[in-house]
Amino acid sequence: MDIKKVAVIGAGVMGASIAAHITNAGVPVYLLDIVPKDAKSRNAIAETAIKKLLEAEPAPLMHKNNARLITPGNVEDHLNWLADVDWVIEAVLEDLQIKQSLYQKLAAVCRDDCLISSNTSTLPLALLTQGLPKSFTQRFMITHFFNPPRYMRLLELVAGPDTRPELVEMVNRFADIRLGKDCVTCKDTPGFIGNRIGVYWLQCGLLEAMDRHLGIEQADAVMTPFGIPKTGIFGLLDLVGLDLIPHILKGMELALPKADAFHQVNRLPERVANMIKEGYTGRKGKGGFYRLNKTNGERVKEAIDLETGSYHPAEKPKTDDLHESVGAIAKSPLQALLSGSGPASLYAWQVWSRTLSYASGLVPEIADDIVAVDTAMREGFNWKYGPFELLDQIDVAWFVDRLRAENREVPPLLAVKQPMYQVSSGQLTFAGLSGNYQPVRRAEGVLLLSDEKLRQPAVLVNPSASLWDIGDGVACLEFHSKMNTLDMDTMTLIRQSIDKVSNEFAALVIHNDGENFSAGANLTLLMQAIHNSDWTAVEQLLLQGQQTFKALKFAPFPVVGAPSGLALGGGCEILLHCDAIQAHAELYIGLVEVGVGLVPAWGGCKEYLRRWLKLPKRPGGPIPPIVKAFETIGMAKVSKSAMEAKELLFLAHTDGISMNKSRLLADAKAKALALSQDYRPPEPSVYAMPGETTRVLLSMGVKALHLLGKATEYDVEVGGKLAYVLSGGHDADITSPLTEGDILALEREAFVQLVQQPGTLARLDHMLKTGKPLRN
Amino acid sequence: MKNVVIAGYCRSPFTPAHKGRLIKVRPDDLAAQVVKGLIEKTGVNPHDIEDLILGCAFPEGEQGLNVARLIVNLADLPISVAGMTVNRFCGSSMQSIHIAAGAIQLNAGSAFICAGVESMTRIPMGGYNYMPNPALYEKLPEAYISMGDTAENLARQYDISRADQESFALLSQQKASEAQQQGRFADEIIPINTPDSDLVDQDGCIRTDTNMEAMAQLPPAFQTNGSVTAGTSSPLTDGAAAVLVCSEEYADAHGLDKLARIRSIAVSGCAPEIMGIGPVGASIKALQRAGLELDDIDIVELNEAFAAQSLAVLKALPVPLHKLNLDGGAIALGHPLGASGARITGKAASLLKRENKRYALATQCIGGGQGIATILEAI
Repeated sequence: MDIKKVAVIGAGVMGASIAAHITNAGVPVYLLDIVPKDAKSRNAIAETAIKKLLEAEPAPLMHKNNARLITPGNVEDHLNWLADVDWVIEAVLEDLQIKQSLYQKLAAVCRDDCLISSNTSTLPLALLTQGLPKSFTQRFMITHFFNPPRYMRLLELVAGPDTRPELVEMVNRFADIRLGKDCVTCKDTPGFIGNRIGVYWLQCGLLEAMDRHLGIEQADAVMTPFGIPKTGIFGLLDLVGLDLIPHILKGMELALPKADAFHQVNRLPERVANMIKEGYTGRKGKGGFYRLNKTNGERVKEAIDLETGSYHPAEKPKTDDLHESVGAIAKSPLQALLSGSGPASLYAWQVWSRTLSYASGLVPEIADDIVAVDTAMREGFNWKYGPFELLDQIDVAWFVDRLRAENREVPPLLAVKQPMYQVSSGQLTFAGLSGNYQPVRRAEGVLLLSDEKLRQPAVLVNPSASLWDIGDGVACLEFHSKMNTLDMDTMTLIRQSIDKVSNEFAALVIHNDGENFSAGANLTLLMQAIHNSDWTAVEQLLLQGQQTFKALKFAPFPVVGAPSGLALGGGCEILLHCDAIQAHAELYIGLVEVGVGLVPAWGGCKEYLRRWLKLPKRPGGPIPPIVKAFETIGMAKVSKSAMEAKELLFLAHTDGISMNKSRLLADAKAKALALSQDYRPPEPSVYAMPGETTRVLLSMGVKALHLLGKATEYDVEVGGKLAYVLSGGHDADITSPLTEGDILALEREAFVQLVQQPGTLARLDHMLKTGKPLRN
Repeated sequence: MKNVVIAGYCRSPFTPAHKGRLIKVRPDDLAAQVVKGLIEKTGVNPHDIEDLILGCAFPEGEQGLNVARLIVNLADLPISVAGMTVNRFCGSSMQSIHIAAGAIQLNAGSAFICAGVESMTRIPMGGYNYMPNPALYEKLPEAYISMGDTAENLARQYDISRADQESFALLSQQKASEAQQQGRFADEIIPINTPDSDLVDQDGCIRTDTNMEAMAQLPPAFQTNGSVTAGTSSPLTDGAAAVLVCSEEYADAHGLDKLARIRSIAVSGCAPEIMGIGPVGASIKALQRAGLELDDIDIVELNEAFAAQSLAVLKALPVPLHKLNLDGGAIALGHPLGASGARITGKAASLLKRENKRYALATQCIGGGQGIATILEAI
């Protein structure tokens, strides 16, 4: 069974964004809501929701055109549409009566093999299906998405005792492969996994900070070392909306058994109640724990004083101020942080000791094993580590000893004081309830570099990159420097890998499981050369990169790039030299060199231009491909998804997109193996370039933008050099085609001229200091 | 010498490029429908037509390959009718009328279809492959100056304020709006069939509800410190226009409806960076050739490329506003480059008749620094 059409009932933010994400998989969706009173259109709610999807940031749609796959409707006139859908997702108000009356209507129109699921975040399945016939309950389950659905990878699945397994499997596969979700099977308990632990953690964090009179900036800052996103606790509550807190607490209070530790943190502080009353509900309201205040035209981030309720400019606490250094005696930085006697350390200990104990006590009540819990917290709350991974980092024995020293209860799961995870004969295992370790199982077809790295030592390794054997004759080149930037070590390892793969492997995949594929070239070496005015060294840096990427392109084996996240500058250039790309759907790729006053000079101009020149459906003549390349590189355009990357031609139409990051490496490996059959390296390209006329044309365009205030004075300079490279240089003529080497020489020439200019130096300095481009 | 007359004028609706109702219509099909409409409307015997002369400013792609000849085929004209595409940028289709007039006076034919077309949606301004001569750019960069910048230059040189430009543009919108509402375009518009089965019979660029406040809100369109906005510029437009040009003898012999006689014509060059002033030189020449003074002219059709440009021309050629662009100008109606010359010349001829006046002047500025003018007299 395959899901070809979906309906979402309820066009609130969540329902609409779920619909949007389903269109990201290329699947059409009906989006229905009630008929509003006195509206011009009976579909007004869904229609407005679709309009909002197009404007929302971060974008719920991977491409604006996807919105056309959503058909707006209403539940009075269009329920008959549901007769041809394979999956109906209910995302209406959390009101049992409303939901149940809708289910009865759905049961009447939907096909027998259509799965109906609820996106409820609090109501248990047993309650939702109470009194409904088996003909309904056997095709009903809970599929709980996290907000925003395009970006949060967690999907909690709760099936009832009657739910037909093949329907659960159908949704599981679709959500995994087509929607890119990490599906976690949950027990039918209140709040499932994510919200059960998450709400407890947030309440602990909120109440402890109030009780201890700790500033919210300090409270949020001390969460970061634990792998919590920089919003911390208070920033996250602002994002969720303070007005929702009482509702969530009420829901949990009613649903959870009296003995549950939740009831000890179930308290809405008066301060928060007042904030809600006065409209300080968070980012959607007048502000929340934090607010942006405009004074004298400048936006200042302010933080609330929990005691007085007044706002002050938010402080930026340094980690050193947060705790006393006891690193020498601690086993890990987190243990050191928790051992400190400063207020932030004491706060962190209280929040984490309670949260981790709570989580440890919930297995197997809410999930079969700790792996499910860790996955849920990572993918649903963007924690870098799940609670049990955190326990390992802190050290379980130390944690338990301290609980005992404080006369606190120790959860049975932790009592034996053994690590939660362990690697045994190259296989990651986790602590089961009986104390035995069991292998961590991945879904069928999932291949993770992190698992492969446990199996065996690296084939090649240096500080910036490694080469791994990922089986079946395929090698994987991994970057692992800071932000995966490319430096001379990376280049060395690539060249060594080319020799190694030529002799011992059939194909190469370039991939890493970091958040970002690569932030580009490491600028430190370049800055040194510039400060020494050593232009020969600059040219050498360029030559190294150009020659390495050229060797990769013409190597006797296929190379498949498998990027996810950012692939900028040099990170984009290496991908442009690959035979093929298998990209994660969340790919943010671009040649952004002009932002630091440079032009791409590791073959980026050459390869990107080639993509436009070779595009069969482009308008004729020599100018349009150059103009297209110039626009993309000149404006440092970065794709907001892999779909957009195809439109920008960073990806070819034959390149693949994997929705699920966990399947990216397997998909790339399959592509590499397919290419390795009778592989022949590409022929070098020739470039028939019109030369000077195009440089004049492009320069005219940049000057017009300058007059319009859309390009700065130095943009005109950098744009001129880029135009020089992309037009083929001064001497080019359409009748005498250039070689790849000619274009590479032009890249170097323009680059070396630009680095000698103060404008470029200012841009480089600014980028290294602030991480943001300078508009000079 | 033979008298040359304009014996019919029609055009397609003018609609905004990229968003109007004609975006899906190929320019060759668009022009062919207008040519067919002209034949029907005038009743001219197509076998008598010597040549179809068509103006087009960017004759490539769907309006390339000597599109005039292809329009002969598309419009089902007899195979004996010849076809020629003419390019003088914005003056292209007025030039096609001048070529026909010259041919008639040389006894090289008695009936010509003089048309123009531009799909600014389907063929970008500047064409697909803009290839300036680097040496000329070095010597005279203004040769390639953008049109918006020329308007800014004139605004500065002639000290024309933004508010004056906006008043002028508003007047154009109001005149066009009123003409549309009173159905005064009905007899010149040929309804156009589109590939998506739409029948377009109304102009689409006119902004009936604009006002000074709305225009004052617009950002400068070409230069941050500039005064020219989208509201005071002619919009990118899709459209086609055609006139029937023949000898007066022929018109009389076949009972055609003579709108006006061509009295004199002229073209002239000027500095490219102030190309908008081109109508001044061309009009003065044409007046001299006609033996007339500016005061003798009753009706003026001045192509409104930009309000700043039009106002600069009016400073040198003081035409009273009540004689100018009676049914609105290009700022309101739109300016499909190749078609505008045929529109304003045909319009001037039909206005002479409608308003019962004696002399009319139709004149345009041309990118690169030129002007073109035609003086018509009532019959």
